[in-house]
Amino acid sequence: MKARITITALVALLIFCAGYAALFIAPDEATMHAIQRIFYFHVASWNAMFCAFFVAFYASVAYLVTGKRKWDALGVSGVEVGVMCCTIGLITGPLWARPVWGIWWTWDAKLTSTFILWLLFIAYLLLRGLVEDPEKKASLSAVFAIFASLDIPLVYLANRLWRTQHPQPVIAGGQGSGLDPTMSKVLLLCLFAIFCVMILALMDRYRLELLRNEAAELRYEIESRGLDASDGQETRALQKGAQ
Amino acid sequence: MKNFEFLFSAWMVVWAVFFVYEISVARRIAQTREEIERLKQQLQQR
Amino acid sequence: MTTARAAAIILAKELRLEFRTRELLTATVIFALVVVVLFSFAFDPTAAESRRYGPGLLWIAFLFAGSLMLNPSFAREQNNETLDALRMSPISNFAILLGKILANFIFMSLAELVLVPVFAVLYNLSLAGIVWRLILVLVLGTLGLTVTGTVFSAISAHARMRELLLPLLLLPLLTPLLIAAVESTASLFAEQPALDRTWLAFLAGFDIVFLTASWLLCDHLLAE
Repeated sequence: MKARITITALVALLIFCAGYAALFIAPDEATMHAIQRIFYFHVASWNAMFCAFFVAFYASVAYLVTGKRKWDALGVSGVEVGVMCCTIGLITGPLWARPVWGIWWTWDAKLTSTFILWLLFIAYLLLRGLVEDPEKKASLSAVFAIFASLDIPLVYLANRLWRTQHPQPVIAGGQGSGLDPTMSKVLLLCLFAIFCVMILALMDRYRLELLRNEAAELRYEIESRGLDASDGQETRALQKGAQ
Repeated sequence: MKNFEFLFSAWMVVWAVFFVYEISVARRIAQTREEIERLKQQLQQR
Repeated sequence: MTTARAAAIILAKELRLEFRTRELLTATVIFALVVVVLFSFAFDPTAAESRRYGPGLLWIAFLFAGSLMLNPSFAREQNNETLDALRMSPISNFAILLGKILANFIFMSLAELVLVPVFAVLYNLSLAGIVWRLILVLVLGTLGLTVTGTVFSAISAHARMRELLLPLLLLPLLTPLLIAAVESTASLFAEQPALDRTWLAFLAGFDIVFLTASWLLCDHLLAE
């Protein structure tokens, strides 16, 4: 419990430092000025998203190979957290685009691909919601997660071959300039901060899923012994009354 | 700062989403823990 | 029994089943036609526009029709629990899956055989000189559609709302295939018809990736 509080506090501190750095320490960018600072969170959330989805992929394979439920728990956690990071990216993107390009959305390669990813992994969550048997739910969603993960590079490649309008990022630099050293330090800090937040969310969700599995097992145990799962006393009273 | 509203909203969105998610997970953890305790007691009563 | 022979037997069974009533095929063709006609109300295309939007429209019609048509593949087996019977027979899971994939491929191709000429007529696009290349694109695209679609049919057969779930799972996954197929088809309908090697290679790659994944994961797909 103490460890938990310490870690949360540390991460909160990290968030604060990263935010401060992004907003005040990083130098103003030449063409876009202040609004460019969104880039630190925007890129960081994509990074976190890919890490989360990778965890989900790994966990899905591990589940199919070992059959241990904890891998399934990790899988769903990875997808949920990944979708959350994706949502953040998809919201901060337009918030950046509007002042800079004057439009909220554009169907360029990166944004389109990520939107598709969002839909794909939400479909995973829907699938889980619609299958009732726990064993089936775990194995079928693992199969789907693997297919979806295999699709990720294909989606990006297809969209890339098809069109590109994303601003050549400051890193790749239109003028061939690299990233200002202070900027890259701030970027690294933000990448790390959001990555830690993602890991924290992942671990919490994982714990929730394990607890849920435990509760389900207990409920099953109770049912198989013939007790009423909601309130044992009521059933016994009823039975006594019926006698 | 130019366009401050957008920058601020973006920052808020990032933390708001994380916070809401964390809080919802933490709440559900607490609920599930209570349920587990209740179920364990039931099993012992048997 | 080899996988090929077993798959052939399953394929024959699926074909025989469908050709008794042909209801699935008919429904698929009609539905795709409806999509094609509806689009013409949304846009009233000139010749240049037809050439531009035509391929996209064609493949969207195929994808929509396909996602409806692929559902019964495994859903049908649920009614009388015939899948259990199949599993108990001495053929591999992959053979069952492959047989169904091939059956769906044939059904889809038959539907396309009807639809493409009709589409060409409705939108005044000439098929002269590009038929064989177009068939190549259609084959590669349909293969990707049926492989992934059959797998997802097996997945959604165990879920509630399977008719809605299948398109939900399938269509986002197929967007790379859609892009590749549309681009390949478009380059064939262009002023100077040409076969786009990049996109064709992409289609082939897509098919290989998911066929391999299906083979590796088929046991989990068809498990009890």
